[in-house]
Amino acid sequence: MVRAGSGLLLAGMAGGCIQVRAPEKPIEINLNVKIQQEVVVRLQQDAKDLIQNNPELFPQ
Amino acid sequence: MTRSFSRTTLVAALLGLSALGAAPAFAQDAVISAAKAAGTVGEQADGYLGIKGSVSGDVRSAVDALNIKRRAAYTDLAAKRGVTVQDMAAVTGCQTLASRVSQGQIYRIGAGDWQTKGAGPIALPDYCAAAGQ
Repeated sequence: MVRAGSGLLLAGMAGGCIQVRAPEKPIEINLNVKIQQEVVVRLQQDAKDLIQNNPELFPQ
Repeated sequence: MTRSFSRTTLVAALLGLSALGAAPAFAQDAVISAAKAAGTVGEQADGYLGIKGSVSGDVRSAVDALNIKRRAAYTDLAAKRGVTVQDMAAVTGCQTLASRVSQGQIYRIGAGDWQTKGAGPIALPDYCAAAGQ
């Protein structure tokens, strides 16, 4: 069992290419909020709509 | 002069209304607009309003009430999009800082000092840039 397992592991290591993936690094901001760029992009339209549809929540 | 006088009068009238028991949203908004013009209330990058220094109870309660409404809206949207309330609020904060702060009004990014908006756009936090303002 153990041998079979390590054999598989070795095969996996030898056969697979090493994937180097860029980490999705959260951006540190001074708000102490960690927010991912992808999240900002995804939510931007929602944020705009929220303000436009609820001007009473965002008085100038 | 005329403008600030009429604004003050309006706020006084609206405060009178709220003293009668009704606290309509437009009265709160007027209180906040006046406080923004006076430089005691401003937008923050976290998506909420903040208070600079000490303000009257009316202003404080109007800010608190509005922030509670904002949080409810952020919570709703965050649940729909599967993100945290904090993220939804911060992305909205990018928008409010970019487009809803007038020259001369105050704003705050993070725990930094309050700043007064000048003629140019506000230097937004880095993460806001992803939104392609």
